[in-house]
Amino acid sequence: MAAPARNSSSCWDVPDVYKHHEQQKICISRPKYRDGRKDKAVKVYTINLESRYLMVQGVPAIGVMPELVQLCALYGAVEEYRPLDEYPAEEFTEVYLVKFQKLTSARAAKRRMDEKSFYGGVLHVCYVPEYETVEDTRLKLQDRRRYVVRAVQSKARERKQKEDVNEETTLSNTATTSEAISRRHKTSDNDNTEKTSNISHYTDFPPLPLPPREYNYFLHKNHHETIPTEDKMGTLHNAVIYKKQQQGHSSSSSQTSLGTDTERGLTSSQSSAVVRFVPRTTHLENRKRKLKNAAEHSPTDAAMNNEILIGPKLPEPPKGDMEDESLNTTVSLIRSTMKQVESVPVPKPVEKKLKPRRRI
Amino acid sequence: MMSRTGSSDPSDRFEYLQTLVTEFQDTDSEEAKEQVLANLANFAYDPSNMEHLRELQVADLFLDMLTEENDNFVEFGMGGLCNLSMDPECRHVILESGGIGLVTNCLSSRREETVLSAVTTLMNLLTPSSRSEITDPAILQCMLRFSLSQSPRLRGLAAVFLQDCCTEAQVARAQRQMQGEQTAVGIPLPGNGDLTDEVR
Repeated sequence: MAAPARNSSSCWDVPDVYKHHEQQKICISRPKYRDGRKDKAVKVYTINLESRYLMVQGVPAIGVMPELVQLCALYGAVEEYRPLDEYPAEEFTEVYLVKFQKLTSARAAKRRMDEKSFYGGVLHVCYVPEYETVEDTRLKLQDRRRYVVRAVQSKARERKQKEDVNEETTLSNTATTSEAISRRHKTSDNDNTEKTSNISHYTDFPPLPLPPREYNYFLHKNHHETIPTEDKMGTLHNAVIYKKQQQGHSSSSSQTSLGTDTERGLTSSQSSAVVRFVPRTTHLENRKRKLKNAAEHSPTDAAMNNEILIGPKLPEPPKGDMEDESLNTTVSLIRSTMKQVESVPVPKPVEKKLKPRRRI
Repeated sequence: MMSRTGSSDPSDRFEYLQTLVTEFQDTDSEEAKEQVLANLANFAYDPSNMEHLRELQVADLFLDMLTEENDNFVEFGMGGLCNLSMDPECRHVILESGGIGLVTNCLSSRREETVLSAVTTLMNLLTPSSRSEITDPAILQCMLRFSLSQSPRLRGLAAVFLQDCCTEAQVARAQRQMQGEQTAVGIPLPGNGDLTDEVR
């Protein structure tokens, strides 16, 4: 199926899929989605899409090239830069090509600079691998392979170490571990009991509750952002930031599964995050799960769940509501009693404490 | 403060990935499948997920996508393989499952990303034992055509392939052969429209 011909002046709409735009020979395959034909901007990132070369659009044409380069240099050494005069630009803006020494710098710069304001304009930053020389491409692939091999090896080593450590700790600490686990079970189940225990055991530091664990797909935040522009996806490469919600009781398997937020920082040199496109059904399931769990907890826990309790909670100050109607009831009762008392000759002690309330 | 450890929990990650795979298999929605597939392929970009993805046999899942009608499935699957094949173990799995043939077919795709991923993957799959298959004259001819492409990226990748994966003699032989009978590898099938697409 041939693609429809596109108007060359609408460079912003350049489709990534078909190549009818070749005549310009400039950034035709830059990963920038504005394509209204597609429902969603779903895209897979490979090493072919990334590059040390970045294109920066939307730079206000007020002679700020040095400032731009300085900004780029924050993310790593810049080898070359030049204005791309041949590239169509929006009115009063300029387009620049910036070549970084390292791909990781380009990645960071893209992530940090894209969609940011700069001297009154908004920058659009994307990779432009088409500017690479053959040697650039070769090195890029080689670096990538080496990186992956190293990363996989170190992960394997790390895992092996952890397994060894876990083995040791489980062997020596079985008793205390299970004790701690059962205690945590209790605290995680019902925050109410914990609250009362806080008050009654004022001097004891109760065991800390498990931090909230939620299914919070990273994409939730970024879903709509990724739809209009492909650039976002380049910035969201490798960080997996999600937390998993505990469904009811935690398993007593290993310590690591209890209360650990699986918040993962950005992996080593790749400081950009992955775009997670979670299908709608999964979102729905998550919402259901969240609702269910919210219902499971008692209402008074709502506040507790949101904060991490450190140390004992002070007893709440007594609350006196001066506006309470019951006070007036009391007054009327007292007054009637007083009348009765007055009618009797034998004096009775007046309750001085209960003064009629003065209504302001 | 307890448990705010910096380390990730591998079992959580594995479960999440498993959820994705299950989702992919269970859902009827094409759109959802595309999203999940892209999701998995992007996960494959992070080396820390390689082992989980291997366990979940995601390489096979990606390979299955290469013969699908849906061009997005093919593109995403191919991208996923491109990412996975950087890892030697995944590479082995892909080779064992007849990956070279399936990936080679993708060289004929009309989607540039698919083709780029295929070229890169073939390079990744190069091992002493797979070399002869990967440097098959048909593939070399395809790469020679690609090196004349209007697409800078494709030109570049093809050039790297020809320089790094085969000998000059092999390239020369392929060039001679091209002057004679040409093979159909890398030439897209005629579609509804014109064939004025770039030379593939």
